[in-house]
Amino acid sequence: MTAEQAVNATPHLQGKWERGLQALRAEDRPHIRAADTRALTGSVDVDTAWMRIEPNANRWDFAIGYQHEDRTVECLYWVELHTASDNQVDVVLRKVRWLLRWLKGEGMAMDGFERDIVWVSSGRTDYTLNGPQRRSFADHGLRQTGGILRISRKRG
Amino acid sequence: MNKGPLAKHGAPHLQVENFGPLKHADLTFGDLTVLVGPQATGKSILLQLVKLLVDLPHIKKEFQRAGVDWVGDFSKFLAVYFGEGMHSVWSAESRVKFNGRTENLPQWVEEKCAHRTESMFFIPAQRVLALRDGWPAAFNYYDASTPFTLREFSEHLRLLMSDFRSDETLFPVPRRLKPEFRDLLQTHIFPGFELKIDTQRAQKRLVLASTQKDGGSLPVAVWSAGQREFVPLLLGLYYLMVASKAPRRKGVEWAVIEELEMGLHPRAITVVMLMIFELLARGYRVCLSTHSPQVLDAVWTLQRLKEHGANAKDLLRVFDANPTAPLLSLAAKVMQKTSKLYDFDRASGATRDISALDTAAEEEGMSGWGGLTEFSGRAASAVARAVANSKPGVRR
Repeated sequence: MTAEQAVNATPHLQGKWERGLQALRAEDRPHIRAADTRALTGSVDVDTAWMRIEPNANRWDFAIGYQHEDRTVECLYWVELHTASDNQVDVVLRKVRWLLRWLKGEGMAMDGFERDIVWVSSGRTDYTLNGPQRRSFADHGLRQTGGILRISRKRG
Repeated sequence: MNKGPLAKHGAPHLQVENFGPLKHADLTFGDLTVLVGPQATGKSILLQLVKLLVDLPHIKKEFQRAGVDWVGDFSKFLAVYFGEGMHSVWSAESRVKFNGRTENLPQWVEEKCAHRTESMFFIPAQRVLALRDGWPAAFNYYDASTPFTLREFSEHLRLLMSDFRSDETLFPVPRRLKPEFRDLLQTHIFPGFELKIDTQRAQKRLVLASTQKDGGSLPVAVWSAGQREFVPLLLGLYYLMVASKAPRRKGVEWAVIEELEMGLHPRAITVVMLMIFELLARGYRVCLSTHSPQVLDAVWTLQRLKEHGANAKDLLRVFDANPTAPLLSLAAKVMQKTSKLYDFDRASGATRDISALDTAAEEEGMSGWGGLTEFSGRAASAVARAVANSKPGVRR
Protein backbone atom coordinates (compact mmCIF):
# COMPACT_ATOMS: atom_id res chain seq x y z
CA MET A 1 0.00 0.00 0.00
CA THR A 2 1.31 3.48 -0.83
CA ALA A 3 0.85 6.46 1.45
CA GLU A 4 -1.69 7.87 -0.99
CA GLN A 5 -3.69 4.65 -0.87
CA ALA A 6 -3.50 4.67 2.95
CA VAL A 7 -4.80 8.25 3.02
CA ASN A 8 -7.67 7.34 0.72
CA ALA A 9 -8.51 4.43 3.05
CA THR A 10 -8.73 6.79 6.05
CA PRO A 11 -12.07 8.34 7.07
CA HIS A 12 -12.42 12.02 6.11
CA LEU A 13 -9.08 12.03 4.27
CA GLN A 14 -10.25 10.53 0.97
CA GLY A 15 -8.99 12.62 -1.92
CA LYS A 16 -6.99 14.89 0.39
CA TRP A 17 -3.53 13.54 -0.60
CA GLU A 18 -1.77 16.28 -2.55
CA ARG A 19 1.39 16.41 -4.65
CA GLY A 20 4.65 17.41 -2.99
CA LEU A 21 4.08 19.86 -0.16
CA GLN A 22 0.83 21.25 -1.62
CA ALA A 23 -1.20 20.26 1.47
CA LEU A 24 0.88 22.63 3.60
CA ARG A 25 0.06 26.31 3.87
CA ALA A 26 2.32 28.40 1.63
CA GLU A 27 3.95 30.03 4.65
CA ASP A 28 4.75 26.62 6.14
CA ARG A 29 6.44 25.08 3.12
CA PRO A 30 9.80 26.87 3.61
CA HIS A 31 10.14 25.03 6.93
CA ILE A 32 10.52 21.72 5.06
CA ARG A 33 13.76 21.07 3.14
CA ALA A 34 13.91 17.82 1.20
CA ALA A 35 17.29 16.77 -0.21
CA ASP A 36 15.45 15.48 -3.30
CA THR A 37 12.12 17.20 -3.86
CA ARG A 38 11.18 14.53 -6.44
CA ALA A 39 11.22 11.99 -3.61
CA LEU A 40 8.44 13.89 -1.83
CA THR A 41 5.54 11.59 -2.64
CA GLY A 42 2.83 13.88 -1.29
CA SER A 43 1.25 15.41 1.78
CA VAL A 44 -2.05 15.56 3.61
CA ASP A 45 -3.56 18.17 5.94
CA VAL A 46 -4.99 16.06 8.75
CA ASP A 47 -5.79 19.04 10.96
CA THR A 48 -8.15 20.74 8.50
CA ALA A 49 -9.79 17.47 7.44
CA TRP A 50 -10.58 16.52 11.04
CA MET A 51 -11.49 20.00 12.30
CA ARG A 52 -15.20 19.36 11.65
CA ILE A 53 -15.09 15.93 13.31
CA GLU A 54 -13.15 16.83 16.44
CA PRO A 55 -13.31 20.62 16.63
CA ASN A 56 -12.06 20.86 20.23
CA ALA A 57 -9.27 18.31 20.02
CA ASN A 58 -5.56 19.15 19.82
CA ARG A 59 -5.29 17.73 16.30
CA TRP A 60 -2.03 17.04 14.46
CA ASP A 61 -1.13 19.20 11.44
CA PHE A 62 0.31 17.28 8.48
CA ALA A 63 1.78 14.08 7.14
CA ILE A 64 4.43 14.25 4.43
CA GLY A 65 5.47 11.21 2.39
CA TYR A 66 9.08 10.72 1.33
CA GLN A 67 10.74 7.88 -0.55
CA HIS A 68 14.25 7.46 0.87
CA GLU A 69 16.90 5.86 -1.32
CA ASP A 70 17.58 3.20 1.33
CA ARG A 71 13.93 2.20 1.87
CA THR A 72 11.54 0.22 -0.30
CA VAL A 73 8.46 1.84 1.22
CA GLU A 74 7.66 5.51 1.75
CA CYS A 75 8.26 7.04 5.18
CA LEU A 76 5.76 9.41 6.71
CA TYR A 77 6.91 12.59 8.41
CA TRP A 78 4.21 13.69 10.80
CA VAL A 79 4.83 17.41 11.06
CA GLU A 80 3.42 19.90 13.53
CA LEU A 81 4.32 23.51 12.80
CA HIS A 82 3.90 25.28 16.08
CA THR A 83 5.32 28.05 18.20
CA ALA A 84 8.12 26.60 20.28
CA SER A 85 7.87 28.05 23.73
CA ASP A 86 7.58 26.51 27.16
CA ASN A 87 3.87 27.27 27.46
CA GLN A 88 3.21 25.35 24.25
CA VAL A 89 4.97 22.14 25.31
CA ASP A 90 1.84 20.65 26.89
CA VAL A 91 -0.27 21.59 23.85
CA VAL A 92 2.11 19.83 21.48
CA LEU A 93 2.36 16.79 23.73
CA ARG A 94 -1.47 16.63 23.74
CA LYS A 95 -1.31 16.72 19.93
CA VAL A 96 1.16 13.81 19.92
CA ARG A 97 -1.16 11.82 22.15
CA TRP A 98 -4.09 12.64 19.84
CA LEU A 99 -2.04 11.55 16.80
CA LEU A 100 -0.97 8.24 18.35
CA ARG A 101 -4.55 7.50 19.48
CA TRP A 102 -5.89 8.46 16.05
CA LEU A 103 -3.33 6.20 14.33
CA LYS A 104 -4.57 3.29 16.41
CA GLY A 105 -8.16 4.10 15.42
CA GLU A 106 -9.46 5.95 12.39
CA GLY A 107 -5.98 6.56 11.02
CA MET A 108 -4.83 2.94 11.29
CA ALA A 109 -4.23 2.64 7.54
CA MET A 110 -1.39 5.14 7.95
CA ASP A 111 0.00 3.54 11.12
CA GLY A 112 2.09 0.91 9.37
CA PHE A 113 4.53 3.33 7.75
CA GLU A 114 7.95 4.04 9.18
CA ARG A 115 7.76 7.54 10.57
CA ASP A 116 9.15 10.54 12.36
CA ILE A 117 6.92 12.69 14.53
CA VAL A 118 8.35 16.16 14.27
CA TRP A 119 7.67 19.49 15.91
CA VAL A 120 8.97 22.24 13.65
CA SER A 121 9.18 25.67 15.25
CA SER A 122 7.07 28.18 13.38
CA GLY A 123 9.00 31.01 15.05
CA ARG A 124 11.90 31.28 17.43
CA THR A 125 12.42 28.42 19.87
CA ASP A 126 12.05 29.59 23.44
CA TYR A 127 13.26 26.64 25.42
CA THR A 128 16.72 25.20 25.69
CA LEU A 129 17.50 22.29 23.40
CA ASN A 130 19.80 20.96 26.06
CA GLY A 131 17.10 20.70 28.68
CA PRO A 132 14.91 17.92 29.96
CA GLN A 133 12.05 18.91 27.60
CA ARG A 134 13.94 17.52 24.66
CA ARG A 135 14.35 14.18 26.38
CA SER A 136 10.70 14.24 27.42
CA PHE A 137 9.73 14.81 23.77
CA ALA A 138 11.93 11.89 22.74
CA ASP A 139 10.17 9.67 25.26
CA HIS A 140 6.90 10.58 23.51
CA GLY A 141 8.44 9.77 20.12
CA LEU A 142 8.57 13.46 19.30
CA ARG A 143 11.56 15.16 17.70
CA GLN A 144 12.08 18.94 17.88
CA THR A 145 14.00 20.12 14.86
CA GLY A 146 14.10 23.86 15.36
CA GLY A 147 12.75 25.91 12.47
CA ILE A 148 13.63 23.57 9.62
CA LEU A 149 12.90 19.92 9.00
CA ARG A 150 15.61 18.58 6.72
CA ILE A 151 14.81 15.30 5.01
CA SER A 152 17.89 13.57 3.67
CA ARG A 153 18.13 11.22 0.69
CA LYS A 154 18.97 8.26 2.91
CA ARG A 155 17.17 7.66 6.16
CA GLY A 156 20.06 5.72 7.63
CA MET B 1 44.36 52.36 21.64
CA ASN B 2 45.62 51.99 25.16
CA LYS B 3 42.82 54.04 26.61
CA GLY B 4 40.42 52.01 28.70
CA PRO B 5 38.02 50.03 26.56
CA LEU B 6 35.00 51.01 28.62
CA ALA B 7 35.77 54.67 28.84
CA LYS B 8 36.02 55.81 25.26
CA HIS B 9 34.71 53.37 22.72
CA GLY B 10 31.42 51.99 23.96
CA ALA B 11 31.27 48.34 22.95
CA PRO B 12 34.81 47.29 21.97
CA HIS B 13 35.06 45.92 18.44
CA LEU B 14 37.81 43.64 17.19
CA GLN B 15 38.47 42.46 13.65
CA VAL B 16 41.26 40.00 12.95
CA GLU B 17 42.46 38.50 9.67
CA ASN B 18 44.91 35.61 9.34
CA PHE B 19 46.16 35.42 12.89
CA GLY B 20 47.14 31.90 13.92
CA PRO B 21 44.14 29.61 13.23
CA LEU B 22 41.87 32.64 12.82
CA LYS B 23 41.19 33.48 9.19
CA HIS B 24 38.51 36.03 9.93
CA ALA B 25 37.25 37.10 13.32
CA ASP B 26 34.81 39.93 13.88
CA LEU B 27 33.63 40.46 17.45
CA THR B 28 31.78 43.17 19.26
CA PHE B 29 32.16 42.68 22.98
CA GLY B 30 29.14 42.84 25.27
CA ASP B 31 29.16 43.28 29.03
CA LEU B 32 29.43 39.50 28.89
CA THR B 33 31.09 37.84 25.91
CA VAL B 34 31.20 34.06 25.56
CA LEU B 35 33.38 32.23 23.05
CA VAL B 36 32.64 28.64 22.04
CA GLY B 37 34.13 26.27 19.50
CA PRO B 38 36.27 23.17 19.25
CA GLN B 39 39.79 22.95 20.63
CA ALA B 40 42.52 24.92 18.83
CA THR B 41 40.19 27.19 16.87
CA GLY B 42 41.74 30.37 18.27
CA LYS B 43 39.53 31.31 21.23
CA SER B 44 42.42 31.60 23.65
CA ILE B 45 44.70 33.29 21.12
CA LEU B 46 42.02 35.87 20.46
CA LEU B 47 41.52 36.59 24.16
CA GLN B 48 45.27 36.90 24.64
CA LEU B 49 45.37 39.24 21.66
CA VAL B 50 42.75 41.47 23.30
CA LYS B 51 44.89 41.45 26.44
CA LEU B 52 47.85 42.55 24.33
CA LEU B 53 45.79 45.32 22.74
CA VAL B 54 44.52 46.77 26.00
CA ASP B 55 47.54 46.14 28.23
CA LEU B 56 50.69 46.38 26.09
CA PRO B 57 52.48 48.97 28.30
CA HIS B 58 51.88 46.82 31.37
CA ILE B 59 52.97 43.66 29.55
CA LYS B 60 56.19 45.27 28.34
CA LYS B 61 56.94 46.52 31.82
CA GLU B 62 56.43 43.07 33.33
CA PHE B 63 58.71 41.50 30.73
CA GLN B 64 61.30 44.19 31.33
CA ARG B 65 61.22 43.60 35.10
CA ALA B 66 61.66 39.86 34.49
CA GLY B 67 64.65 40.41 32.18
CA VAL B 68 62.82 39.24 29.07
CA ASP B 69 64.18 40.85 25.89
CA TRP B 70 63.04 39.90 22.42
CA VAL B 71 65.72 42.17 20.89
CA GLY B 72 63.31 43.79 18.47
CA ASP B 73 62.36 40.48 16.88
CA PHE B 74 58.57 40.37 16.71
CA SER B 75 58.42 36.60 16.24
CA LYS B 76 60.40 36.22 19.48
CA PHE B 77 57.97 38.56 21.18
CA LEU B 78 55.08 36.39 19.99
CA ALA B 79 56.81 33.28 21.33
CA VAL B 80 57.39 34.79 24.72
CA TYR B 81 53.94 36.39 24.97
CA PHE B 82 51.72 33.62 23.55
CA GLY B 83 54.10 30.83 24.58
CA GLU B 84 56.68 28.63 22.89
CA GLY B 85 55.81 27.56 19.36
CA MET B 86 53.54 30.55 18.77
CA HIS B 87 56.13 32.69 16.97
CA SER B 88 54.39 32.24 13.61
CA VAL B 89 50.84 33.34 14.49
CA TRP B 90 51.54 36.64 12.75
CA SER B 91 52.24 36.67 9.00
CA ALA B 92 52.44 39.23 6.22
CA GLU B 93 48.70 38.70 5.64
CA SER B 94 47.77 39.31 9.29
CA ARG B 95 45.56 42.29 10.10
CA VAL B 96 44.23 43.55 13.41
CA LYS B 97 41.70 46.33 13.79
CA PHE B 98 40.61 47.32 17.27
CA ASN B 99 37.90 49.90 17.87
CA GLY B 100 38.14 51.05 14.27
CA ARG B 101 41.89 51.52 14.25
CA THR B 102 44.18 49.26 12.23
CA GLU B 103 47.23 48.25 14.22
CA ASN B 104 50.60 47.34 12.82
CA LEU B 105 51.43 45.00 15.68
CA PRO B 106 55.16 44.44 14.95
CA GLN B 107 55.74 48.18 14.84
CA TRP B 108 53.43 48.96 17.72
CA VAL B 109 55.09 46.52 20.09
CA GLU B 110 58.38 48.37 19.62
CA GLU B 111 56.94 51.84 20.13
CA LYS B 112 57.58 53.63 23.38
CA CYS B 113 54.41 53.90 25.42
CA ALA B 114 53.50 55.52 28.71
CA HIS B 115 52.83 53.11 31.54
CA ARG B 116 49.23 52.30 32.32
CA THR B 117 47.92 50.08 35.04
CA GLU B 118 46.68 46.69 33.94
CA SER B 119 43.08 46.83 32.71
CA MET B 120 42.45 43.15 31.96
CA PHE B 121 42.70 40.37 34.55
CA PHE B 122 43.15 37.06 32.82
CA ILE B 123 42.40 33.70 34.45
CA PRO B 124 43.92 31.23 31.98
CA ALA B 125 42.83 27.68 31.24
CA GLN B 126 46.18 26.40 32.57
CA ARG B 127 45.53 28.05 35.96
CA VAL B 128 46.04 24.78 37.82
CA LEU B 129 49.76 25.06 37.00
CA ALA B 130 49.97 28.24 39.07
CA LEU B 131 49.42 26.17 42.21
CA ARG B 132 51.22 22.99 41.22
CA ASP B 133 53.53 23.11 44.24
CA GLY B 134 50.77 24.26 46.57
CA TRP B 135 51.83 27.89 46.46
CA PRO B 136 51.72 30.35 43.54
CA ALA B 137 55.05 30.93 41.88
CA ALA B 138 56.52 34.30 40.89
CA PHE B 139 56.47 35.54 37.29
CA ASN B 140 60.18 34.79 36.97
CA TYR B 141 59.82 31.23 38.19
CA TYR B 142 58.42 30.29 34.78
CA ASP B 143 60.66 30.13 31.76
CA ALA B 144 60.01 32.00 28.53
CA SER B 145 58.11 29.07 27.02
CA THR B 146 55.14 29.76 29.33
CA PRO B 147 52.42 32.11 28.05
CA PHE B 148 52.45 35.56 29.61
CA THR B 149 48.87 35.16 30.86
CA LEU B 150 49.76 32.17 33.04
CA ARG B 151 52.94 33.77 34.40
CA GLU B 152 51.04 36.96 35.17
CA PHE B 153 48.12 35.12 36.78
CA SER B 154 50.51 33.18 39.02
CA GLU B 155 52.27 36.41 40.00
CA HIS B 156 48.94 38.02 40.91
CA LEU B 157 48.04 35.07 43.13
CA ARG B 158 51.45 35.23 44.78
CA LEU B 159 50.92 38.89 45.61
CA LEU B 160 47.35 38.20 46.74
CA MET B 161 48.68 35.66 49.24
CA SER B 162 50.48 38.46 51.05
CA ASP B 163 47.01 39.67 52.16
CA PHE B 164 46.78 36.55 54.32
CA ARG B 165 48.74 35.64 57.43
CA SER B 166 50.33 32.27 58.02
CA ASP B 167 47.84 29.67 59.21
CA GLU B 168 45.02 31.94 58.08
CA THR B 169 41.87 30.52 56.51
CA LEU B 170 41.32 31.58 52.88
CA PHE B 171 37.90 30.06 52.60
CA PRO B 172 35.38 30.53 54.06
CA VAL B 173 36.19 33.96 55.46
CA PRO B 174 34.00 36.97 56.23
CA ARG B 175 34.26 39.90 53.80
CA ARG B 176 35.47 37.61 51.02
CA LEU B 177 32.53 36.83 48.74
CA LYS B 178 28.87 37.18 49.61
CA PRO B 179 27.74 34.83 52.42
CA GLU B 180 25.32 33.26 49.92
CA PHE B 181 28.25 32.32 47.65
CA ARG B 182 30.26 31.02 50.58
CA ASP B 183 27.42 28.73 51.62
CA LEU B 184 26.94 27.40 48.09
CA LEU B 185 30.68 26.85 47.58
CA GLN B 186 30.97 25.11 50.93
CA THR B 187 28.13 22.79 49.93
CA HIS B 188 29.17 22.05 46.37
CA ILE B 189 32.98 22.31 46.29
CA PHE B 190 34.44 22.20 49.79
CA PRO B 191 32.07 20.04 51.84
CA GLY B 192 33.67 19.48 55.25
CA PHE B 193 36.82 21.43 54.38
CA GLU B 194 38.36 24.87 54.73
CA LEU B 195 41.02 26.26 52.46
CA LYS B 196 43.94 27.26 54.65
CA ILE B 197 47.57 28.29 54.58
CA ASP B 198 49.70 25.62 56.16
CA THR B 199 53.21 26.29 57.49
CA GLN B 200 54.01 23.03 59.24
CA ARG B 201 57.09 22.50 57.14
CA ALA B 202 58.21 26.15 57.22
CA GLN B 203 57.28 26.52 53.56
CA LYS B 204 53.82 28.00 53.11
CA ARG B 205 51.40 25.91 51.14
CA LEU B 206 47.68 25.73 50.57
CA VAL B 207 45.80 22.84 52.10
CA LEU B 208 42.23 21.76 52.52
CA ALA B 209 41.79 21.32 56.26
CA SER B 210 39.02 19.11 57.55
CA THR B 211 36.46 20.95 59.69
CA GLN B 212 35.99 17.82 61.78
CA LYS B 213 37.74 17.47 65.10
CA ASP B 214 41.09 15.71 64.62
CA GLY B 215 40.53 15.83 60.88
CA GLY B 216 43.65 16.05 58.72
CA SER B 217 44.82 18.46 56.03
CA LEU B 218 44.99 17.61 52.37
CA PRO B 219 47.80 19.04 50.22
CA VAL B 220 47.13 20.04 46.60
CA ALA B 221 48.24 16.67 45.24
CA VAL B 222 45.37 14.94 47.03
CA TRP B 223 42.63 17.39 46.13
CA SER B 224 39.93 16.33 43.72
CA ALA B 225 40.36 17.50 40.13
CA GLY B 226 37.52 19.96 40.62
CA GLN B 227 39.07 21.42 43.78
CA ARG B 228 42.48 21.73 42.08
CA GLU B 229 40.89 23.59 39.21
CA PHE B 230 38.60 25.69 41.35
CA VAL B 231 41.01 27.01 43.98
CA PRO B 232 43.06 29.14 41.56
CA LEU B 233 39.79 30.34 40.05
CA LEU B 234 38.51 31.23 43.53
CA LEU B 235 41.69 33.16 44.27
CA GLY B 236 41.32 34.94 40.94
CA LEU B 237 37.78 35.90 41.94
CA TYR B 238 39.12 37.16 45.29
CA TYR B 239 41.47 39.37 43.29
CA LEU B 240 38.59 40.79 41.25
CA MET B 241 36.01 41.03 44.05
CA VAL B 242 37.93 43.44 46.21
CA ALA B 243 37.04 43.47 49.89
CA SER B 244 36.39 47.19 49.91
CA LYS B 245 33.58 49.52 48.96
CA ALA B 246 34.95 49.93 45.44
CA PRO B 247 33.14 47.54 43.12
CA ARG B 248 36.20 46.83 40.97
CA ARG B 249 39.90 46.52 41.54
CA LYS B 250 41.50 49.82 40.65
CA GLY B 251 42.17 50.12 36.92
CA VAL B 252 40.83 46.68 36.05
CA GLU B 253 37.95 46.83 33.59
CA TRP B 254 38.05 43.42 31.92
CA ALA B 255 37.88 39.97 33.45
CA VAL B 256 38.71 36.97 31.26
CA ILE B 257 38.02 33.46 32.49
CA GLU B 258 38.91 30.52 30.30
CA GLU B 259 36.93 27.31 30.71
CA LEU B 260 35.45 28.07 34.11
CA GLU B 261 33.75 24.67 34.08
CA MET B 262 36.95 22.60 34.27
CA GLY B 263 36.61 19.68 36.66
CA LEU B 264 33.39 20.97 38.19
CA HIS B 265 30.09 19.22 38.79
CA PRO B 266 27.13 21.01 37.14
CA ARG B 267 25.93 22.25 40.55
CA ALA B 268 29.31 23.83 41.15
CA ILE B 269 29.21 25.39 37.66
CA THR B 270 25.88 26.94 38.65
CA VAL B 271 27.55 28.60 41.64
CA VAL B 272 30.45 29.82 39.53
CA MET B 273 28.03 31.31 37.00
CA LEU B 274 26.40 33.25 39.85
CA MET B 275 29.83 34.57 40.74
CA ILE B 276 30.35 35.58 37.11
CA PHE B 277 27.11 37.52 37.45
CA GLU B 278 28.62 39.24 40.46
CA LEU B 279 31.55 40.34 38.30
CA LEU B 280 29.07 41.76 35.78
CA ALA B 281 27.11 43.51 38.51
CA ARG B 282 30.37 45.07 39.72
CA GLY B 283 30.84 46.56 36.28
CA TYR B 284 33.55 44.31 34.85
CA ARG B 285 33.41 43.50 31.17
CA VAL B 286 33.58 39.71 31.34
CA CYS B 287 34.85 37.37 28.61
CA LEU B 288 34.47 33.62 28.93
CA SER B 289 35.56 30.76 26.75
CA THR B 290 33.72 27.53 27.39
CA HIS B 291 32.97 23.99 26.28
CA SER B 292 30.03 23.74 28.68
CA PRO B 293 26.45 23.73 27.36
CA GLN B 294 25.43 24.72 30.88
CA VAL B 295 27.22 28.06 30.59
CA LEU B 296 25.31 28.78 27.38
CA ASP B 297 22.11 27.63 29.05
CA ALA B 298 22.75 30.22 31.75
CA VAL B 299 23.30 32.98 29.18
CA TRP B 300 20.28 31.85 27.15
CA THR B 301 18.15 31.93 30.30
CA LEU B 302 19.38 35.39 31.18
CA GLN B 303 18.58 36.66 27.68
CA ARG B 304 15.13 35.11 27.46
CA LEU B 305 14.06 36.11 30.97
CA LYS B 306 15.09 39.67 30.16
CA GLU B 307 13.20 39.68 26.85
CA HIS B 308 10.04 38.33 28.43
CA GLY B 309 10.01 40.81 31.29
CA ALA B 310 10.81 38.30 34.04
CA ASN B 311 12.28 39.63 37.26
CA ALA B 312 15.36 39.09 39.38
CA LYS B 313 13.61 36.47 41.49
CA ASP B 314 12.92 34.37 38.38
CA LEU B 315 16.61 34.47 37.50
CA LEU B 316 17.70 33.43 40.99
CA ARG B 317 15.26 30.53 40.93
CA VAL B 318 17.11 29.11 37.92
CA PHE B 319 20.31 29.14 39.95
CA ASP B 320 18.63 27.62 42.99
CA ALA B 321 19.74 30.66 44.99
CA ASN B 322 17.75 32.16 47.86
CA PRO B 323 16.25 35.53 46.92
CA THR B 324 18.10 37.49 49.61
CA ALA B 325 18.29 41.26 49.23
CA PRO B 326 21.94 41.25 48.03
CA LEU B 327 21.29 38.52 45.46
CA LEU B 328 18.10 40.20 44.23
CA SER B 329 20.05 43.42 43.75
CA LEU B 330 22.79 41.50 41.93
CA ALA B 331 20.30 39.72 39.65
CA ALA B 332 18.47 42.97 38.88
CA LYS B 333 21.77 44.54 37.78
CA VAL B 334 22.74 41.52 35.68
CA MET B 335 19.41 41.62 33.85
CA GLN B 336 20.40 45.03 32.50
CA LYS B 337 23.62 43.70 30.96
CA THR B 338 24.28 42.84 27.34
CA SER B 339 25.69 39.53 26.21
CA LYS B 340 27.43 38.48 22.99
CA LEU B 341 28.29 34.94 21.93
CA TYR B 342 30.64 33.78 19.21
CA ASP B 343 31.25 30.40 17.68
CA PHE B 344 34.74 29.66 16.34
CA ASP B 345 34.43 27.46 13.29
CA ARG B 346 37.39 25.22 12.51
CA ALA B 347 36.61 24.64 8.83
CA SER B 348 36.34 28.29 7.84
CA GLY B 349 38.61 29.74 10.53
CA ALA B 350 35.92 32.38 11.05
CA THR B 351 33.89 33.53 14.00
CA ARG B 352 30.12 33.52 13.84
CA ASP B 353 27.85 35.69 15.96
CA ILE B 354 25.43 33.30 17.71
CA SER B 355 24.27 35.86 20.27
CA ALA B 356 20.60 35.24 19.49
CA LEU B 357 21.05 31.64 20.73
CA ASP B 358 18.16 30.80 18.45
CA THR B 359 17.53 27.09 18.73
CA ALA B 360 15.27 27.28 15.66
CA ALA B 361 17.83 28.99 13.47
CA GLU B 362 18.63 27.55 10.06
CA GLU B 363 22.39 27.63 10.53
CA GLU B 364 23.63 24.59 12.38
CA GLY B 365 26.29 26.50 14.32
CA MET B 366 23.59 28.81 15.60
CA SER B 367 20.92 26.26 16.46
CA GLY B 368 23.48 23.79 17.84
CA TRP B 369 25.08 26.55 19.89
CA GLY B 370 28.48 26.14 18.31
CA GLY B 371 28.37 22.36 18.57
CA LEU B 372 27.67 22.26 22.31
CA THR B 373 24.19 20.77 21.96
CA GLU B 374 24.86 18.59 18.91
CA PHE B 375 25.21 15.38 20.87
CA SER B 376 22.07 15.86 22.96
CA GLY B 377 20.24 16.77 19.75
CA ARG B 378 21.35 13.61 17.99
CA ALA B 379 20.59 11.51 21.06
CA ALA B 380 17.07 12.93 21.38
CA SER B 381 16.42 12.41 17.66
CA ALA B 382 17.57 8.79 17.79
CA VAL B 383 15.40 8.03 20.83
CA ALA B 384 12.39 9.87 19.37
CA ARG B 385 12.67 7.89 16.15
CA ALA B 386 12.99 4.61 18.07
CA VAL B 387 9.95 5.45 20.23
CA ALA B 388 7.86 6.60 17.25
CA ASN B 389 8.54 3.33 15.42
CA SER B 390 8.50 0.89 18.32
CA LYS B 391 5.48 -1.00 17.07
CA PRO B 392 5.12 -4.27 15.24
CA GLY B 393 4.54 -4.35 11.52
CA VAL B 394 6.38 -1.21 10.47
CA ARG B 395 7.15 -1.54 6.79
CA ARG B 396 10.63 -0.57 5.64
